Amino acid sequence: MNAVATSTKEAALAHRVLETVREQGTLPVSTAAAEATLESLPYPTSRQERWKYTRVAHLLGLEGETATDTTAPEPVLPSLDAHRLTFVGGRFAAGEIVDEGPEGCFIGPITAALERYPERVEALMAKGFGKQEWYAALQAAAPQDGGCILVPSGGRLDRPVLFHHHMPNGALAAQPLHLIDVAERGHAEAILWYDAAENATGLMNGALNVCVGDHAQLSLEIVQDEKGASSHIGHLHFTQGHHSDLTVRTATACAHWLRNDLHIVQDGEHAASTFHGCYLPNGQQFVDHHTRIDHAYPDGRSDELYKGLAADRATAVFNGKIMVHKDAQRIEAYQSNANLLLGEQASMFSKPELEIYADDVRCSHGCTTGQFDAEALFYLRSRGMTETAAHNLLVQAFLAEVLDGFRPEIRDYVHDVYALRLGWN
Amino acid sequence: MLKIENLHARIDDTEILKGLSLEMGAGEVHAIMGPNGSGKSTLASILAGREEYEVTEGSITFDGVDLLELDATERAVAGIFLAFQYPVEIPGVSNINFLRSALNSIREQREEAPLSGKDFLAKVKECAQLVELDGKLRDRSVNEGFSGGEKKRNEIFQMAMLEPKLAVLDETDSGLDIDALRIVSHGVNSMRNGGRSFLVITHYQRLLDHIVPDHVHVLAGGRIVHSGGKELALELEEKGYDWIVDTPAAQQA
Repeated sequence: MNAVATSTKEAALAHRVLETVREQGTLPVSTAAAEATLESLPYPTSRQERWKYTRVAHLLGLEGETATDTTAPEPVLPSLDAHRLTFVGGRFAAGEIVDEGPEGCFIGPITAALERYPERVEALMAKGFGKQEWYAALQAAAPQDGGCILVPSGGRLDRPVLFHHHMPNGALAAQPLHLIDVAERGHAEAILWYDAAENATGLMNGALNVCVGDHAQLSLEIVQDEKGASSHIGHLHFTQGHHSDLTVRTATACAHWLRNDLHIVQDGEHAASTFHGCYLPNGQQFVDHHTRIDHAYPDGRSDELYKGLAADRATAVFNGKIMVHKDAQRIEAYQSNANLLLGEQASMFSKPELEIYADDVRCSHGCTTGQFDAEALFYLRSRGMTETAAHNLLVQAFLAEVLDGFRPEIRDYVHDVYALRLGWN
Repeated sequence: MLKIENLHARIDDTEILKGLSLEMGAGEVHAIMGPNGSGKSTLASILAGREEYEVTEGSITFDGVDLLELDATERAVAGIFLAFQYPVEIPGVSNINFLRSALNSIREQREEAPLSGKDFLAKVKECAQLVELDGKLRDRSVNEGFSGGEKKRNEIFQMAMLEPKLAVLDETDSGLDIDALRIVSHGVNSMRNGGRSFLVITHYQRLLDHIVPDHVHVLAGGRIVHSGGKELALELEEKGYDWIVDTPAAQQA
């Protein structure tokens, strides 16, 4: 009986989200197939290992309004020289299309990319894990027009690309899809920026599909800075060719409730992946970073570092899976997750998962959750720092290892958000 | 300037100080020597405000203020500095930024204006020269990857920057080679003046060849059992502690 009731609620949520999102226009996908997939997948509950600490029940009540306030937000990182595309509530709002023709780079909304380069874009759209997870399937059943970057073989973007997605006030659902394809020996830098208005209470259920071709390089910085009480589920999928180099840095600056699923597949030899992240929930916030890397070919390397702090009554979750496939020899995979707990009611759940089916690999993982080093605190205080200032300095030092990897504009921005939220000077 | 009376202190259930009394005047250098486990480092920790220790009896007055009422930060503001026996490594915190924060924190609490960037850097340069501290070490994370000697020099560098009224040197000579010992001692000596006192805790007389004390005390069994002038250190070096510790006065401790 219970199962029926739950199923009704989730079906109703799916219906509301799909209706309102489709009213505003979505990318062309086979809705029947996508909905069949959605129906076949279980709604996430804490009985599933991947959702053990991540309660999604509150999302069942989401009304799914249509965005009424679609004013473009203030530009972020105003001093940064970048190609900018802005999206509001899942819809393309502003930005210049760059189209250098089939041999050159393309930057613009997916709809425009689809008209010009349908084969390449459709292939990219088919990636992702819409067939594995309920919310990913929901997103895939009604994907909204996000940004698209296409870099040709040997091509290079002259400037970074900044996709800025803004959640307006209200309880709406947004499901933008972003695509990045860097063909072989290409090079690109991109920034994915999510923010939300003060009274946003909706659901940002977005996806990103990325292909980094053979010998290609992509550096991606993701900033999540969502005020208000909206929820965010990110489905981030990366495929790498041989000798490719991918760096993904994720800074969760502010989030009321957030789940990131980041999945990297090394689909060729000698691929290198760096993925770092930081998070700092306080109050009653919830932040969950689930990552997975598949070393499917030999001689790959991965460097994963996530650091965070949970304060007050906040909860942080980290789950990092490293999958080394059979015959993927000579892999070097390093994972580290370090956490600080600040506050007796703060919680941290950290779980490394290593599955290794090759015999000649170097893998290491370390996961620590602790409190402040009392000796360091005393040392700082004995030099005249107040207890609060000493705490703050230690938190900043703790996060610096991740934050310093971002470009300075982003590092400083995220630092300032943390400073404001935690009352640093 | 500093008056310790009948101090009793314990950590967990172990009583370590058992009626320690000591008086220091402004500008004086006092050395504390004594066997292992006699309470020397405990005394240093308590003066600096380490909270693991519980004072069960007695008093500490510093410039007329009840020191036991102040927390570690407030003691630094009041002018107490502890040179740690084991300086703490703090990855990610640059030595210079930390000192700037500390110095300005003290100034703010004393209701003084913060140092200008220029004045701060001039002071850094001057104090670093005093202990021959390399520019690279100043910019690195606090004590991270420093050798033992570099850590101790960094302590004296910080002391010079913060200009305390009372500096407690907790076995600053341990782990130092002869050159580093000379550098550290030179740093301390050049800071001696009529308003600044030093409490030098050491196992070895050799440090006191460089930093010549006005008074030497023997701490044993949690109390001062013998005091004398600088020549006492030499006598201890020669004869050990037994002849003092075994006396009836010491037995009571």
